[in-house]
Amino acid sequence: MKRTAVALPLLLVLSACSGESDAGDAENSLAPITVQIKAEPEEAAVYESLVNAYQEAGGGEIELVTVGREDHLTRLSTAFASGDAPDVFLLNYREYAPFVQRGAVAPAGPLLEREGIDFADYYEEPLRAFTYDDALQCMPQNISSLVVYWNRGLFTQAGVPAPTANWTWDDFVATATALSTGGVKGVGIDPSITRMAPFIWSSGGTIVDDDAAPTRTTLHEPGARAALDAMVALIGTGATPSKEELAAQGLPEQFMTGKVAMFLSSRVEVPALREQRGLDFDVAALPTMGEPASVLHSDAYCVASSSEKQEAAAKFVAYAVGEQGQTLTALGGRTVPSMRSVASSPAFLSPTRAPASSQVFLDAIPLLRHTPVTPSWPEVEDVIGTQLQRAFEDGVPLDEVLTEIQAQADPLLRP
Amino acid sequence: MIALSVVFLAPLVVMVLGSLQRPLQPPPNGLDLWPDPAEWANYATVSRFMPLGRLLLNSLLLVVVAVPVTVVVTSMAGLAIVTARGRLRRWFVGVSVLMLLVPAAALWVPRVVLLRGLGLADTPVTVALLALAGTTPFYVLLFALAYSRIPATLLEAATLEGLSPYAVWRRVALPLARPAAVAVAALSGLYYWSTFMDPLTLVSSPGNWPVALGLRNLSEMEAALYPIYLAAAVLVTAPALLAFGLAQRSFFSSVERS
Repeated sequence: MKRTAVALPLLLVLSACSGESDAGDAENSLAPITVQIKAEPEEAAVYESLVNAYQEAGGGEIELVTVGREDHLTRLSTAFASGDAPDVFLLNYREYAPFVQRGAVAPAGPLLEREGIDFADYYEEPLRAFTYDDALQCMPQNISSLVVYWNRGLFTQAGVPAPTANWTWDDFVATATALSTGGVKGVGIDPSITRMAPFIWSSGGTIVDDDAAPTRTTLHEPGARAALDAMVALIGTGATPSKEELAAQGLPEQFMTGKVAMFLSSRVEVPALREQRGLDFDVAALPTMGEPASVLHSDAYCVASSSEKQEAAAKFVAYAVGEQGQTLTALGGRTVPSMRSVASSPAFLSPTRAPASSQVFLDAIPLLRHTPVTPSWPEVEDVIGTQLQRAFEDGVPLDEVLTEIQAQADPLLRP
Repeated sequence: MIALSVVFLAPLVVMVLGSLQRPLQPPPNGLDLWPDPAEWANYATVSRFMPLGRLLLNSLLLVVVAVPVTVVVTSMAGLAIVTARGRLRRWFVGVSVLMLLVPAAALWVPRVVLLRGLGLADTPVTVALLALAGTTPFYVLLFALAYSRIPATLLEAATLEGLSPYAVWRRVALPLARPAAVAVAALSGLYYWSTFMDPLTLVSSPGNWPVALGLRNLSEMEAALYPIYLAAAVLVTAPALLAFGLAQRSFFSSVERS
């Protein structure tokens, strides 16, 4: 132990000294960099082709580290704490704030401007979500939203008409109950705040008191309460999978096997659903409880503030979010491009590949809002998710659950 | 005994059968175990998702380096505990138990800082450096327990005969604690073969990762490709099973002899 205590400060000094870079400008932008991305094995292939295309286009050497969803943050946090961070990493807007707060992110705005990125080419909502402390911190690669996935075969079988663009919550509940026959359940919805948020906003409620600088949750107030009550009522009709059914199989798998006729998710499910032979599915807009609303799902490339090769990092990010890069990732099926011109191109909208109504994702863009961006948000989200699960799956009264959310989440938000 | 072994074998059987299912089918309703026809091609497909040969080689290198070092370090440390006197001995045991209580997550950052500072953070055998610290104090305590059954007079007599501490360890203590040595070798071998958290935090380049971490990344494959994930699991489990099968004889003979 004693030896470690002596060695540690010494090592820190050593590593601080070795940080100087002496390469010229031209070499800087081609310096080898490390890019860490959370991706399932199939998604990883998409990013590999992106990296290959970048190198063919004259980019520098890139070491691509693809890590599973659960391990991504563990590896990033350890790497940052020990000063061994990747130069570029991909983060969701719900989880980037703690990294910015600890000074781990080099603001992307000025870096990318130098690379000739024109932010007017991109949708505004994700740019807003990744703006913190009045600066664009990370550069969004996609703009997905919550939609209803529906199984056309099960709809036809039950004689239920297809969802319409402006259906209401009541239409949605009627559809779900009509679809629940035999071994089939009408709809599955994860008990999380990202799934509930659009309904809360739609019925005139809010999640927190101030989206820009939240100090407490407001799920118990009338607007939000009405949306949660409606959800509990839907569960009461028996049109959703039971706790046991959910424990046995995840919602996407239940949808693939025709046990659930509709489920709510973002664009992320498309590659997996496309691979299911015989599954005829499409997407529809969310039903409304009042004003139409949807919730943003977006990941962005962040450049590490500790990186000695920020120029090379910015060059890669500019390529990845540029026209070629976004076209490549859009063809993979998982992303809704954040660049306007690519989102409306056949690479994304191609009607020959399911879902036929990809336009639904673009129609939702003017309705998008995002959950608060604040360092403690990941923990707040955990608290709300755990409590909503109790209400939706264990039948705990909503009053009890909402009191518990206030008691646990509000202290996390207090400055 | 047979009933018990069925319980423990069942997951292996399910894994092997699952690895032979056809991929890209909807997930089965309930238990649909028997593959028809068996899809052996899954095993060839695994290498499209991870560089299997490279990672297996990394893992093999890791185990070959880490296990002997672990056995040597922990058996020496165990002897030091047993030969220490009175309060010092109790203090050593106390420290070992205390170290066992430190949560693994608390060690991730200091380890990375230390190894990176030494320039050792990115090789296939980086994780094996943990063996220099005995891997876990549990193995040290295991040896201490085994040595404590050797009569103290025997060790004292050896010292009086003029044997160096090294010779006492090599020629007297270690041969008498053979079962403990075999147990620590087996446990640490399994540990280094299957650990993914240590390389995830310690090893930067995916090319230097062990096969367990490669498998961990495959575990998030979508359900339709699970047969390929299970095929990879079989390929990763097989060497460990094979090693156990080969070592089993010497393991039991060493335990019975003592």
